[in-house]
Amino acid sequence: MSALQAYRHLMRAARVAFDGDNRTLTAAYESIRRGFRENQNVPANDPTIAPAIAHAEEVASFLRSNVVQGRKDGETYKLRIHQDTERGDNDTIKLGNQTIKIGGEQKCCSA
Amino acid sequence: MFRTAALTAARVARPAVASAVRAGVARPAFVQAVPKVAAFQAVRFYSAGGHLKKDEVFSRIAQVLSGFDKVNDPKNITETAHFANDLGLDSLDTVEVVMAIEEEFSIEIPDKDADQIHSVDKAVEYILSQPDAN
Repeated sequence: MSALQAYRHLMRAARVAFDGDNRTLTAAYESIRRGFRENQNVPANDPTIAPAIAHAEEVASFLRSNVVQGRKDGETYKLRIHQDTERGDNDTIKLGNQTIKIGGEQKCCSA
Repeated sequence: MFRTAALTAARVARPAVASAVRAGVARPAFVQAVPKVAAFQAVRFYSAGGHLKKDEVFSRIAQVLSGFDKVNDPKNITETAHFANDLGLDSLDTVEVVMAIEEEFSIEIPDKDADQIHSVDKAVEYILSQPDAN
């Protein structure tokens, strides 16, 4: 996974998450740029590179699936839920008080 | 049923128009102004070749680049300009340029293709090979 790909994914994710909200979108672009520019002189074999790229990818997927825009419409807010928004089915509620480790070994439901 | 209704309407309408002409009343200009062929071509079909011309693609890409403030000199934007060697952009800028080009032609370039685009002619070539680009 290269840094350039992470950069592209992050830029695209920002575009999906903040579509139509130019102020936030510009701020997001600016902050992504700043983050990458700060580390642009780090050598490619530096041990901090891989975690930094993984972090960027995680932020990208978070922006894409866990950020939803809301617009106030009178008393209520209209949410713009798009095709990449994560929709949980709350199946874990059936497991009671067990602690669930996400992505862990514990199998849940039909998985 | 619709056909008979239309025919009746036409039959009723014709004498009215004819009498209007006879009486010297100018018919609405647009009726005469649109020749048959032009009226037909005004409708665009899905099958119509919406292909982009090479010059048009280049001029739109050049426009995208000239709006990009990191390009060292707008005069360097030529059909064969290399993003890094001729325009002074680094790899992060190149990613942004490619994304701006995507937006301009409303397509999404997959990662593996986007990584290959390093010059204006490559970008033009890629856009021309995409039937969805517009």
